[in-house]
Amino acid sequence: MSNNKYFGYAGKILTVDLSSSDYVVEDTPFDLIVNFMGGKGFGAKILYDGLKPGCDPLSPDNIMVMATGPLTGTLMPASGHITLSTKSPLTGIWRDSHCGGFFGPELKMAGYDAIIIKGKAKKPTVLVVKDSKISFEDGRDLWGKLTFDTQELLRKKHGENCQFMCIGPAGERKARFANIVSGGRGFGRGGSGAVMGSKNLKAIVVKGTKSLNIHDLDGFMRMCREAYNELTVSPDTGGGRPKYGTNSIYSFMIEAGAHPVKNFQTGVFAAVKECNEDVLDKKYYKRHIACFSCPINCSKASRVDDGKYKGKFTEGPEYENMWSLGAQCGNSNIGSIIYGQHLCDEYGLDAISAGNVIGFTMECFERGILSEKQIGFPTNFGNDDAIIKFIEMMAKGKGVGELMSQGVRQMSKELGKSTEKFAMHVKGMELPAYDPRGAFGMGLAYATSDRGACHLRAWTLGAEILDVQDRMDPFATEFKAELVKNQQDFYAVIQSAVVCLFLNFGLTQRQITRCIQALTGIKEWKTTEDILKIGERIYNLTRLFSMREGISRKDDTLPERLLKEPVNEGPTKGVVVDLDTMLKEYYLVRHWDKEGRPTKEKLAGLGLEKYAV
Amino acid sequence: MPIADHKKCTGCHICEIICSVQHHKIMNPKLAMVKVNSNWPWEDKVTICRQCRKPKCVEACEYDAIERVDGYLRINQDKCTACMECVKACPFDGVVVSEITQKPILCDTCEGEYLCVNWCPTKVFAKM
Repeated sequence: MSNNKYFGYAGKILTVDLSSSDYVVEDTPFDLIVNFMGGKGFGAKILYDGLKPGCDPLSPDNIMVMATGPLTGTLMPASGHITLSTKSPLTGIWRDSHCGGFFGPELKMAGYDAIIIKGKAKKPTVLVVKDSKISFEDGRDLWGKLTFDTQELLRKKHGENCQFMCIGPAGERKARFANIVSGGRGFGRGGSGAVMGSKNLKAIVVKGTKSLNIHDLDGFMRMCREAYNELTVSPDTGGGRPKYGTNSIYSFMIEAGAHPVKNFQTGVFAAVKECNEDVLDKKYYKRHIACFSCPINCSKASRVDDGKYKGKFTEGPEYENMWSLGAQCGNSNIGSIIYGQHLCDEYGLDAISAGNVIGFTMECFERGILSEKQIGFPTNFGNDDAIIKFIEMMAKGKGVGELMSQGVRQMSKELGKSTEKFAMHVKGMELPAYDPRGAFGMGLAYATSDRGACHLRAWTLGAEILDVQDRMDPFATEFKAELVKNQQDFYAVIQSAVVCLFLNFGLTQRQITRCIQALTGIKEWKTTEDILKIGERIYNLTRLFSMREGISRKDDTLPERLLKEPVNEGPTKGVVVDLDTMLKEYYLVRHWDKEGRPTKEKLAGLGLEKYAV
Repeated sequence: MPIADHKKCTGCHICEIICSVQHHKIMNPKLAMVKVNSNWPWEDKVTICRQCRKPKCVEACEYDAIERVDGYLRINQDKCTACMECVKACPFDGVVVSEITQKPILCDTCEGEYLCVNWCPTKVFAKM
């Protein structure tokens, strides 16, 4: 029944070369497992070793690594995730992203810990993986189709019991922040959809029937039971999050002034009364949706029942998109947010970057840098019609949409006129939905995240805003470096294990470590320190990857607006982020030198000495 | 017998996972005797046998493949020809078709313990 050598692992890696329509299946090497665990860790090692420095992310030389981890597809709560690592066409550096749903577990059931995709197909192709049967199917009839239509057609052809991932028209035309959609979820950030499009790979179908063995069955079941119980009683994972989804934090962020408004011009959102989590819950949420094995069910199916967006629906909108298509664009029309998110998913665009760029474009319009003639219509903040039009223009590359779809960094470069001061990105990745001027930790988190501005490498808001008992001062720099470093290392573990980050809100690091131990029995992974060391190893290796692409201390920064331009109202009035103090401390805590390079001693301690530069 | 309130189902498939762990000591939802069917994003629906007192599936089976063992209905996989008449006959859509063997299977209730019912985070099932 089971062909796996190691507990918790499928035991095989599938490497596909699209150029020659060929593939090989190899055993997952034990030293890869023990040093890098899975998911993001596998991606870091395989990409660092396999990619030539400076290679074009949209050329056949780029590699995509889709990897699960030991916990994926097990009884462990929230174990429906999978990681995709590749060089980003948006930032030109390291990127990995994580998709919930069911694809990861299905891939493991098909018998693979990971799929590595190389080369470029001659014509649009669908990769089909059904247990040990691998085939390359003609994808020409699907090329140009929206993501949900594509998945529906594939379902009709391959049956109900398969899982799919595919790109939409945005990925096909290599929009720099195109995403990959699987079910109603996706690999969001950093343009993995463009990489898939550049390889002429329209979709992947996977179906599996194989089993996973458990090292200590009784122990693992008991720990999972405990984990379920604790997640259910936690006020976050058992209270706010199941009810409101990720929007459970919406009002807290608004109150703290940490929810950026109108492209980070202010932290005060006047329309919050008509646009908040209670309105969503009462008026729009129709049901709860969970990923594989997840009791948190943070996802919601929403539908608009009246008004000009009547009948529009989406899986969501989650907190990030409530912001990106909402407050970021000065928009409080929830119907338009729901429709906008659906469009982003359908065309295959990352909705965080999309909304960030739209907000930037609106500010350029209001400042007279872009005219109505250049854009084609007026685009003041709050114009929901413009948001919808922009999404379609970016997806199709029409008019100003072509420039917008290259990301805010490239757009401000072409526009000039000091627009870089309010182009809200770090290392080319657009900022998500938290204003560091309301929580300094997020400033450090954005500046040092390995894929550019990102809230999923360290998320300090719990400690700085939400924690009731011993909240950290959000405007202080003390202890933020340790907090961010510890989170980055542990999140790297979670993203290599591969489970959902939301386990952090209900379980301790020790608990998750014990679950990994009971499942795999790997003796090198006994303590939380052992596990954190894997995370630190991965985080240092992704740093080295990006350094090889030219990243250094000068890039570990924030947009000028956050460093020099305070908000003049609300709870964050007069504040700018003191990044330098935190960054110096961060390098110390990480044992990186003053230029942000990992020291030889640090690398040696992590077993990465051969990567020292 | 468990009655499912489909509106409460979030589609997490925990019922399938725990079923495979309990019966096979390994993890493989495809081996489960309970099944979740998804109609994204509006519905997830659980298929589970209610262990009827007067089962229509038994009447429909021409091969006498559905037997009572220790009081519980069970499909004798050797006798079953996968004609699917039991699947059609069940008024509650309660017969799971295995993806691996392509044959129908019935929930054996874990000797009345119903681990899937106990583990379900949104309490989809009511034990009658």
